[in-house]
Amino acid sequence: MSLAFRQALLEQRSFWRSAEYALFTFALPLALLLLIGSTTATGYLPGTHVEGQMIFVPSIIAFGVIVAAYVNLGAKLATLRHDGVLKRIRTTPLPATAYLSGVLGSTAATSLAITASIIAIGAFAFGAVPRIGGLPELAAGLALGVVCFGALGLALSAVARSAESASPIANASYLPLAIMSGIFDPTFPVPHWLSAAVGLFPVRALAQILQHAYTPVANAPATDWVILLGWTAAACAFTAWRFRWH
Amino acid sequence: MNRTAIKVDALTMSYADREVLKGVDFEVQSGEVFCLLGPNGAGKTTTIEILEGFRRRTGGTVSVLGMDPQAQPARLRERIGIVLQECGFPRQARVAELIDSWRAYYTKPRDLADLLKVVELTEDRNVQVRRLSGGQRRRLDLALALAGDPDLIFLDEPTTGFDPESRRRCWAAIENLRALGKTIVLTTHYLDEAERLADRVAILQAGRIQVTGSVRQVARQAGVKTKITFTAPERVRVGTLTPPSGLEVVVRGEVATCHTDNSATTLRELLNWSAANDLGDLDDLAVETPTLEDAYLQLVTGGLN
Repeated sequence: MSLAFRQALLEQRSFWRSAEYALFTFALPLALLLLIGSTTATGYLPGTHVEGQMIFVPSIIAFGVIVAAYVNLGAKLATLRHDGVLKRIRTTPLPATAYLSGVLGSTAATSLAITASIIAIGAFAFGAVPRIGGLPELAAGLALGVVCFGALGLALSAVARSAESASPIANASYLPLAIMSGIFDPTFPVPHWLSAAVGLFPVRALAQILQHAYTPVANAPATDWVILLGWTAAACAFTAWRFRWH
Repeated sequence: MNRTAIKVDALTMSYADREVLKGVDFEVQSGEVFCLLGPNGAGKTTTIEILEGFRRRTGGTVSVLGMDPQAQPARLRERIGIVLQECGFPRQARVAELIDSWRAYYTKPRDLADLLKVVELTEDRNVQVRRLSGGQRRRLDLALALAGDPDLIFLDEPTTGFDPESRRRCWAAIENLRALGKTIVLTTHYLDEAERLADRVAILQAGRIQVTGSVRQVARQAGVKTKITFTAPERVRVGTLTPPSGLEVVVRGEVATCHTDNSATTLRELLNWSAANDLGDLDDLAVETPTLEDAYLQLVTGGLN
């Protein structure tokens, strides 16, 4: 446990040292938040009793978690494998689980820092504040979201055969889902069958849970939790089966 | 000090239907530099990976520092250091910081200043890893492998692609380790490197150890003869005097060459023959003991030259 914690600290130090990398990991969701916030009409979404900012702010939180935990973690591990760093780690007595937990812990810290920034900007710039009663949901949703997309990031790094292919695979897999899930535009029209298909993936599930933490009007069925847990289990199983250190 | 660090008995390894190791036996004593040689595909890497606990063997017994590598890989890694080929570093790291983070992986790490000194990187301690030269990176590889103060170090082709100056510095670092009493298992393609560093070598070919021992023992077992040369006297060249019978003397141009298993006897015979024929001391008389390269080529290629 202390080994994993120490590894997480090492990973965090290297993350913040790479200023450019850290900056853009934060810049993408924050820029989207400001862009969407300034172009979406304020007030109730058409035909509902939901204010737009209560939906798009938590949606961008979900987006931030996906980028930090899935895209960046997957690409980072693929690069470390390509460079031989993972292989070198394996020559030390550090247990594999301690290393991967440390990497996941660092990813969680980064995701939470991004989330905190989005919540702060959402509150000050757009007046979107989570419900007091929604806080346990927010915390649990974030925790499960980081674990689920972190596990998917590990699985992604196991799928990508080269360091170069990890980012395109990540983008091609989550971006269409994010658009179809209404992350960038909650009123985005999607045919019924497609909506049902998108509902099977963890992107909308996480967004809906976080939206519900902001406004009780948002639709967040219990199946969203089941879907996140299911993908977490599948990603862990796939990682255990396919993850390679070199 | 003369304990056994590694003992390998009847080690076999098969991948699918391909038998890579067909019964490998050897021992490495504590405190010695042991070099495993062999052509590509002979099974060197497989053997080393089994010793390091990265691969499960098909058969045979293996003991490394008294442990079975596949049964106790984590405990074993506390006490061994591994220098792999072409392994990268985290991109943002600085030299001392990286070594320090590696030290944290071990329960009894070696002192940081000491590590920097052994690999001659004290002055570069704050340099970013990506700015290091190839030779400096290799020495950093070594520092990381030494972070846990291991008793046994595996070095896989430590100087491949080096200029002569970098090679010498790397060799010096390895000799420092030997002086500290570390056991070192080395694989290399450079036979001069093996000859310079190794106390004992083993040649692995076609999944078996063909020969093992000191460089001289290996040369003898390989059946490589000592070469004696001298300037052929005028009378020998024009054919009025024949070399001593019983010796295989070949004259080519000015140079007479004689191959022998027993250089002392042969020299005595040559000098007696020379004295008996008033040739005085033979000019440019030289004795070349077989090199490891001669022995290796003799064994591996069946003596092409």
